[in-house]
Amino acid sequence: MPQYAALIWSTDIEPSDPAFEAMMPGYNAFGQEAAAVIRGGAALYNNATATTVRVQGGKGGDVVTTDGPYADTKEALTGFYLIEAADLDEAVVWAAKIPAAYDGSGCVEVRPIIDFG
Amino acid sequence: MTAPVDAVERAVREEFPRILATLVRVTGDVGLAEDAVQDAVERALQTWPRDGVPDEPRAWLTTAARRCAIDRARRESLRHGKESQAVWLQDPDPAPPPESVVRDDLLRLVFTCCHPTLSTEAQVALSLRTLCGLTTAEVARALLVPEATASKRLTRAKQKIADAHIPYRVPSDAELPARLRGVLATVYLVFNEGYAPSSGDAVVRQDLVDEAVRLGRLLRDLMPDEPGVLGLLALMLLLDCRRAARTAPDGSAVRLADQRRHAWNARMAAEGVALVAEGVRRTPTRPDPYVVQAAIAGCHALAPSYEETDWDAIVAWYDVLLTVDASPAARLGRAAAIAERDGAEAGLAEVQAIDGLAHHAWWHGAQAELLHRLGRDDEAAAERTEAQRLGLGAAALRSLDASLAAPPRG
Repeated sequence: MPQYAALIWSTDIEPSDPAFEAMMPGYNAFGQEAAAVIRGGAALYNNATATTVRVQGGKGGDVVTTDGPYADTKEALTGFYLIEAADLDEAVVWAAKIPAAYDGSGCVEVRPIIDFG
Repeated sequence: MTAPVDAVERAVREEFPRILATLVRVTGDVGLAEDAVQDAVERALQTWPRDGVPDEPRAWLTTAARRCAIDRARRESLRHGKESQAVWLQDPDPAPPPESVVRDDLLRLVFTCCHPTLSTEAQVALSLRTLCGLTTAEVARALLVPEATASKRLTRAKQKIADAHIPYRVPSDAELPARLRGVLATVYLVFNEGYAPSSGDAVVRQDLVDEAVRLGRLLRDLMPDEPGVLGLLALMLLLDCRRAARTAPDGSAVRLADQRRHAWNARMAAEGVALVAEGVRRTPTRPDPYVVQAAIAGCHALAPSYEETDWDAIVAWYDVLLTVDASPAARLGRAAAIAERDGAEAGLAEVQAIDGLAHHAWWHGAQAELLHRLGRDDEAAAERTEAQRLGLGAAALRSLDASLAAPPRG
């Protein structure tokens, strides 16, 4: 069955922020509801901890690191689920149940996973 | 028995969407299916003019396309050094699928091409390519983009269908209304781009209008019970029936009020009116926006002249439309009908009461026209300037200027 990464783009907050705590029940509930299709996932530390890596001059060239995330938007990539679904329609149905998709904090990006099998 | 090349091209194009739909089901791969059907089409274009069109062109093309798909799939698996086990590869010449299966295939293809996870641009390009059977070069011409751009758009869309597993199926009953709205919106977008081009100088781009009507007929054949499908086809026919009267010999637009109605296509108008009646009959409780817009166009089609138009009926239909579609465009249409029924003063008040249109060129254009009719030419000129500043299309601007230059009517 195809697998999809459900990338969560939402408000960029630190785990120590009280708002982080407040958002957890929604995600815990989703985790339980979608347990059968979740193949993996993680919550990510906030944008400030991100490092963007680029190599200049091709492979083996100079590694240039930039502090911060690649896309400089208000929302941050704050986590992801790895979901197994029959097709994109089904994956979108699951993605729509992830709090970021509906709680006003951001959105969820669905990306098909490459099967190298 | 030989056949003229254009007859062959017509026959091939007629069959293209159905054969493609069958091949997509068989191979499960839109890109491979399209390449294979294209191979088969090229073979037909080479041999049919010499040997004549076969008795059953669709069966001929389907078999040829299947063989081409098998060749391509085998070559591909050789390249990767692994044997494909796909079942369809084992049986090159099964019996041609019955009509009911072909219809289901085509319906699935419609919903795949207009899948909401594809961009509107991609939906339009894919629909023209797969459902209308246009070549990539023809799609590029239709969309006024370079061929490389059209090709990239199509490739990217097919890649997303394959990689993200966009399903090849008819939506469930629960999903169908929303998904069908998306399909109809895509077809109507193609129509509007042809009927009132957003770019370029032409009053109408008949090639796009024809493709949209062709798509509308296809949807009607596939979903004859859906009021929205009937309404959209009716609306397109009732607008397109004016085609011969919409453009003056010098290429400028002729306004509805000034069109020579005997030049309207009576057969298309009659078909449209019959479809409206059917659409209304099938929506006893909740009106369908396309059916209602078609009813309005039908009122115009039935009026012997502009002066004898039943504006009461048109305003009443707009009132119905506003219950399901309160868009600014619908409100502007109602205001224009009020202006005809109750006079320019009343119409202008209605137009000005519509919020949120200050940045729309045609809102200012409508005011300019009504102000001119009231003899308030300085204000009319200011609104005309604003409409031009906001990018009113060249054809619409010429038409507005013509009515501002003419003596004000009633």
